[in-house]
Amino acid sequence: MKSIASHQMKVYWPLYVMAIPGMIFLIVFKFIPLAGAVIAFKDYSVFRGFIDSPWVGFKHFETLLQHPDFLRVFSNTLLLGLFKLTIVFPVPVLLALMINEIRKSALKKGIQTALYIPHFLSWVIVGGILFDFFSLSGMFNIILGWFGAEPVLAMQESAYFRPIYVLASIWKDAGWGTVVYMAAISAIDPQLYESAMIDGASRFRQIRHITFPILLPTVLVLFLLDIGNFLDLGFDQVYNLLTPMTYNVGDILDTYVFRTGIQQGQYSFATAVGLFQSVIGFIMVYTFNKLSNKVSDGGLW
Amino acid sequence: MLASKSEKTFGAVITGLLILFSIVALIPLLSVISTSLSSKSAVDMNLVTLWPKQFTFDSWKYIVDRPDLWKSFFLTLSTTLIGTILALLMTALFAYPLSKPEFRWGSVIMMAVVVAMIFKAPIVPYFLTVRGIGLYDNPLVLIVPHILNPFNLIIMRTFFKQFSKELEEAAFLEGCGYFRMLFQFVLPLSKAVLATLALFYGVVLWNQFQHPLFFLQDTNWFPLQIKIRQFITDDSVIMSGAASTAQLNYNERTLRAATVIFAIVPIVVVYPFLQKYFVKGAMIGSVKG
Repeated sequence: MKSIASHQMKVYWPLYVMAIPGMIFLIVFKFIPLAGAVIAFKDYSVFRGFIDSPWVGFKHFETLLQHPDFLRVFSNTLLLGLFKLTIVFPVPVLLALMINEIRKSALKKGIQTALYIPHFLSWVIVGGILFDFFSLSGMFNIILGWFGAEPVLAMQESAYFRPIYVLASIWKDAGWGTVVYMAAISAIDPQLYESAMIDGASRFRQIRHITFPILLPTVLVLFLLDIGNFLDLGFDQVYNLLTPMTYNVGDILDTYVFRTGIQQGQYSFATAVGLFQSVIGFIMVYTFNKLSNKVSDGGLW
Repeated sequence: MLASKSEKTFGAVITGLLILFSIVALIPLLSVISTSLSSKSAVDMNLVTLWPKQFTFDSWKYIVDRPDLWKSFFLTLSTTLIGTILALLMTALFAYPLSKPEFRWGSVIMMAVVVAMIFKAPIVPYFLTVRGIGLYDNPLVLIVPHILNPFNLIIMRTFFKQFSKELEEAAFLEGCGYFRMLFQFVLPLSKAVLATLALFYGVVLWNQFQHPLFFLQDTNWFPLQIKIRQFITDDSVIMSGAASTAQLNYNERTLRAATVIFAIVPIVVVYPFLQKYFVKGAMIGSVKG
């Protein structure tokens, strides 16, 4: 037994050496922080660290569930997450089905390029574009003016935050989201369409009975992944669209953790909030995966 | 195949809608470009929509004269370049042993990688750990946390697995070791996947916002996105180099617009050359995911 191990090391040692930097990276940047989540059950002290800080049980979770801020932030997060799943998620599917119907390849390329570009802009830039677009002398208010409406500072109005969040998500990522679906569509056997055409199926019926059903497993898998990230709305996105005037509707778990944890130093409390978020995310994926395994065999595992 | 009339209408409606969507997708960008090229008075009089009015480069002249903006620009350019190279090296070094069945820790490590992908650590212990290793207020935080991404690692490992065993065995008989194998044979044959991953890492490094926001205090190390965020939200920062505001041909809004476009230009310039790699990479990723 020992000789096999030493033989393994003699021949294959370079493989082990190569893996060392990556393993150190994973331990430092992924697993220590993951283990560090125990401070949600402790009173973290900078001087005593993750291990030696005293245990306090569920104290922080009790505080959190009674905190009026937390309930507001949690419901904001839930609502935005719900909008993202119901309104933003289907858009790339529809777009991909539509793009697939375009036969002229130059036009198709042009449309894809125009729709992909916003994906590569940072949220800082997208925020900058939106603040400009919705400013008092910006295009949005000029258009409102054509219809005789009073100008509004939409980025600073609570009522507009959620629609803007949803539209910005679609604008930035819906085009790019089609890439995965286009890949799945391009793998479809052309013979299916040929025989459908011989049977006299219209293009709409081909979409309904061939393209869409074949796309469905991919849609399902991506939907499951999205459900797992249900409460993960993207710190950059919300932070860069938020103004103090829209906190009541736009403050979410991520921005709240940033303020209470990083800025105010309530480390254990903010970790409890983060852990709460992770656990809910995990439960959601697990449940929906079970469900989808029951309905079809398109689950993640 | 003869298309019936309704078939043609169907195609035309879809094409029309998609062209409309593409235009709508570009309108916000166009409006910001126009603002940056219009005069202060035209903007104040609500004249500017999709094309510049009272065309002027004054906002642009002011922006490109800001040394602090260029400083952030070059800082971000260098962290992006260095970071991308390090990330590729790091990812290749880790993916290569993971693609070898004779590497005994492989399956355990792969499981760890998947766990790291599914369970995201709460942000506060992450912050405390990264601060604990000395990256707080340290410009290295712009590079080090980004040099390995589990998702990209899996893409590269999948790619390495396709290499034929025969080629490698022949090379080993010639006395070639694993390191030479990786750098002389495997990597030169992996240009496609390297280009794709370079882009994925590059975009993350160029656009990063959360790490500098959380970890950097010293304004000397502010990368481009943080600088632009300041320009967008803080009029005193953006106007700090301006003379008396009365006779100026620009205002906060035209300057902000110019700043935003300034940061977009590099992306739009490189984008057309790289689009095919992006798409290819997203497809490799989707097959795995």
